[in-house]
Amino acid sequence: MKTRQFFISIIRYRPGLYALNLIAWSLIHMAPLVPGLLTKAFFDDLEGSYDFPYGIAAIAALLVAAALGRIALIYVGFLTDVNVRYRVSMLLRRNMLAHVLKEPGARAIPVSPGEAISNFRDDVDHTEEAFSWSVDMLGLVGFVVVASWILLSIDAQMTVLVFVPLILVVTAAQIGTARIQKYRAASREATAKVTGAISEMFSNVQAIQVAGAEKRVVGRFVQLSEKRRETMVKDKLMTEALSSVFANSVNLGTGLILLLAGYKMRAGGFTVGDLALFVYYLTFVTQLIGNVGNFMTYYKQMAVSFGRIKSMLQGAPAQLLTKPAYIGLGRRKPRRGGQSEEARSTQAAPAGAASPADAGQPAESPVDDGFPPPVAAPPLQMLEARGLTYRFPETGRGIEGIDLTLRAGSFTVVTGMIGSGKTTLVRTLLGLLPAEAGEIRWNGELVERPADFFVPPQSAYTAQIPRLYSDRLRNNILLGQPERPGSVEGALHAAVMEEDIGGLEQGLDTMVGPRGVKLSGGQAQRTAAARMLVRDAQLYVFDDLSSALDVETERRLWERLFRQRGDAACLVVSHRKAALAHADHIIVLHGGRIEAEGSAEELLRTSESFRQLWHGEETG
Amino acid sequence: MKGEQKEDRKIGGWSVYREMLGRYVLPQKRLLGWLAALLLLSIGLQLVNPQIIRYFIDTAQGDGELTALYWAAGFFILFSLVQQGVSVAAAYFSENLGWSTTNRLRAELAEHCLALDMGFHKTQTSGSLIERVDGDVNALANFFSSFIIHLAGNLVLMVGILALLFRENVWIGLVMTAFVIGAVYVIQWIRRFAVPVWKRWREMNAEFYGFIGEHLEGTEDTRANGAAGYVMNRFYELTRRMLPVRVRAFFGFCMMWSTTILVFALGNAAAFLVCAWLWEGGQGALTIGSIYLVFYYTEQLAKPIEKIRTQLEDLQKADASLLRVRELLATQPKIQDGPGAELPAGPLSVEFHDMEFAYEEGGRNTLHRLQLKLEPGQTLGLLGRTGSGKTTLARLLLRFYDPQAGGIRLGGVDLRELKLHELRRKVALVTQNIEILEGSVRDNLTLFDDSIPDARIAEVLRELGLGAWHDSLPDGLDTVLASGGGSLSAGEAQLLAFARVFLTDPGLVILDEASSRLDPLTETRIEQAITRLLQEKTCIIIAHRLATVQRADHILILEHGRVLESGGREQLASDPDSRFSRMLAVGMEEVLA
Repeated sequence: MKTRQFFISIIRYRPGLYALNLIAWSLIHMAPLVPGLLTKAFFDDLEGSYDFPYGIAAIAALLVAAALGRIALIYVGFLTDVNVRYRVSMLLRRNMLAHVLKEPGARAIPVSPGEAISNFRDDVDHTEEAFSWSVDMLGLVGFVVVASWILLSIDAQMTVLVFVPLILVVTAAQIGTARIQKYRAASREATAKVTGAISEMFSNVQAIQVAGAEKRVVGRFVQLSEKRRETMVKDKLMTEALSSVFANSVNLGTGLILLLAGYKMRAGGFTVGDLALFVYYLTFVTQLIGNVGNFMTYYKQMAVSFGRIKSMLQGAPAQLLTKPAYIGLGRRKPRRGGQSEEARSTQAAPAGAASPADAGQPAESPVDDGFPPPVAAPPLQMLEARGLTYRFPETGRGIEGIDLTLRAGSFTVVTGMIGSGKTTLVRTLLGLLPAEAGEIRWNGELVERPADFFVPPQSAYTAQIPRLYSDRLRNNILLGQPERPGSVEGALHAAVMEEDIGGLEQGLDTMVGPRGVKLSGGQAQRTAAARMLVRDAQLYVFDDLSSALDVETERRLWERLFRQRGDAACLVVSHRKAALAHADHIIVLHGGRIEAEGSAEELLRTSESFRQLWHGEETG
Repeated sequence: MKGEQKEDRKIGGWSVYREMLGRYVLPQKRLLGWLAALLLLSIGLQLVNPQIIRYFIDTAQGDGELTALYWAAGFFILFSLVQQGVSVAAAYFSENLGWSTTNRLRAELAEHCLALDMGFHKTQTSGSLIERVDGDVNALANFFSSFIIHLAGNLVLMVGILALLFRENVWIGLVMTAFVIGAVYVIQWIRRFAVPVWKRWREMNAEFYGFIGEHLEGTEDTRANGAAGYVMNRFYELTRRMLPVRVRAFFGFCMMWSTTILVFALGNAAAFLVCAWLWEGGQGALTIGSIYLVFYYTEQLAKPIEKIRTQLEDLQKADASLLRVRELLATQPKIQDGPGAELPAGPLSVEFHDMEFAYEEGGRNTLHRLQLKLEPGQTLGLLGRTGSGKTTLARLLLRFYDPQAGGIRLGGVDLRELKLHELRRKVALVTQNIEILEGSVRDNLTLFDDSIPDARIAEVLRELGLGAWHDSLPDGLDTVLASGGGSLSAGEAQLLAFARVFLTDPGLVILDEASSRLDPLTETRIEQAITRLLQEKTCIIIAHRLATVQRADHILILEHGRVLESGGREQLASDPDSRFSRMLAVGMEEVLA
């Protein structure tokens, strides 16, 4: 998608509101035509070349009245402007966020979160600015047309001689803006580095404090800031040089008028009032041309930002950015009967018709969340993966040719040394990383898009390093799923968290703080387990669930889980005996490949690696 | 001093500006000098040009030489061109000024925030800190770069114009002076309404980007648990709350602009009336050229007043940010640096006496009457269920918090007597958290300490069994790691965190579940390295696995913040009634299961 198409498509988002805004600002820009004429009338009346019928006092009164009229227009203009720009920028942010949430979860953004925030903040702001400035163009044209007509009727020769050079100046300046883009890209890049550094700094604040590295970290931050200053100043210098061309062209124009007017005034064909009018309109024409300059600058800036946003999309079509969607304002048009997605997904088992066709009916519901409708697959009998492969592009490490079979009610443990690909394996299976090769079958049916398929009610997942959000503990567990009586308590019990809740002063309503820092490491991990267990799924995937748990808690957790999981299959990454002992199948990974598999007993007999992993704990 | 600070925080206003400008802008004398010189030149040019036009009109109306008119027009154009150059140069200097000063402020804020305790960081997302350290300061850039210069310059320009108007005619001078005073007053008055809204808007922004940042980090959990709807609903709720604030903030602008328009229409009308009255009162008191001059100057007055208005508008935005920046700078860490006692060299003894600690003042105690003495070079195994207070104990030793009662002594010195920097140099902590920064492997290991030679780093990596990994790095130690570790597995990331400690020389090492993400084999392999690390060092091993505390001399078991059991390891292990030996039995069962 080109920048121009992108720009047009954001204008198309709210055409009515945009048109209203356009009309309001056009009128605002054309309003100064009136005081110009009044000024001319004043001088002509004084000089005696024209007699204003109601006297000087009336001119003064009309001047004030014109101002009041313009103010009224400005109020309307501001109201439409703030509304339309807010909606557009929030639509972009909403669509960006929605897209990120649709990407494979472990690779959702190609940059650090701090840098991506700068996409959400600055790049969208730039787009919004360009969008908002675009409405000033029509007013400019209107003003120029009417003013030219008035001025031509006074003195055609002078109008042409003054205004043509101005147009040349604008053209020259436009060529100049081509250079801005380069500087702008550099300064945006430097800014992203700075915000990235801040984010890194405060995400790892404890590590920095523990190491006493504050001064050194700030030192690096200062270097990045200095780099940003350099690029920003260059950027500003270019922009300013251009805008001063626009701003000062009024003086040049006035000089030209003077050059030409001298002899005409002598001859008597050109009054002081005419001079005043020419200079007055000239001021506004250049001011408005300055707006064109601003718009052009913002537009270039937007082009840069658009490029950066596109790269954040990781190759997805940019059309999705401007797709109309509910943004939290006005009435929501629910895609289906007002239920939230989760509510539906748990009850939708019979609705095999909840196929993509449902989402593809814009006539009925033009606004929806844009998320694929939840799939409700038949009950799990057997899940198979064949030849599953994913390698990290940076290092080439990963997993290769993994075959895996999970039956309903089975308990499978993946184990292996650090860096052997355990996490990569479960992420690839769940579609959190895009598989390079291999296929996954659910009861023999090919799963086309694992990322959309492996969600509740099919599967639920606890990440190795679970993320909690700044919200209440209860909401962190439910994550929007409607609460049924006892469902949270049940999940907490299964996750061996019930006693901890009593120890928290506000219980389930405790605000857990950013990233859940107000909970201990083990509590955070068990909260994440409860988050998974509160979702009724047929496949539970735990990545190293117990790493922060003491032996006793861990034992209880596996026991409860084992008792309560019913027919659900469990896939567990662990090297702990408590888990290995429960397993009816163990997969030993080494260097991204399956080295051995079988029950613990078999593996202890046959696999040297497994023996080492198993006994390592004892000898330690 | 303190009372004074409180005072001006309340009124905001000029004393705050003075303080901030005095601290950040005034030291930039050279840049300020250049700016002032350019500005004066530009003011002079602006005052002269209308005089040329007046001369021009009066000459054109009379019957002087026609060439004089061309000269006048020529000078007018020349002066305009010079002015253009001046304004570009001024922009260059003022941008430089703005960035130099705000960068200093950013650095100070970053440093200040890094010094704040976890109590602060627990309430801030890193996204919202980006807003506070960068966003708010951005809003100050203009205030720093051009506020004084433009305010002073435009005041001079305004006074100059008024003086020249007085020169024409006393009445005109008086009327226009009254107009200017009225205009400035009205604009100032309007400004008062909009500031609180801008502050609110900045706050909402910080919350919004905090939310975005948090969810950009948590995509894996969100995605796999089908919680995208939850995230979107929170997004919708935020947009709903933000719109009214944005609208009100915009109306502040709108009010300012429309006020200026009205004020200038009134000014023009007044000028017209006075001129007409003087013109009709006595021919010859004013030439038509002089009247145009008055008109031109009146229009020109718009510029300084407009500039002053936009400066004040920016100030209005800056006000909100200034308040938030000052608020942040005024946030004092609860932990204050000690006077700077010296720690003895070598391993450090650790002593807790009757220590009480609660995270929140008046809240439930996390640790109760804790007693413990650890001799230099001893190793303590700290056991207990999750949430029993083990990690809290580690945090207290690094003075992330201070106990409410009792105290902690390290090498015989109370922690509160030490400089934080000294304390944290001598006490090393490895946690189970993965804290990998975006940056090179070297920077991640040394945390930007350039004095550590690469050979030493390579050696440590080999010791920890990461030799092969190190050899596979495409750019060696310069290889850039992604934020949070990227393609590193969690276990490898934990080993890297371990390596950090090996590169320092602490007197006390605290391992807080430091090997929880390692598989048993790797753990066994790094045993030797750890043994070497702990030689001649005091050590506290926090563990939930019994195997990990095999090397301990002393065992302490915590439950709900109380000491459940404490004693020599071997002694406890051999006592069949001890909690520790029962735990050992459970551990054995686990092995046998």
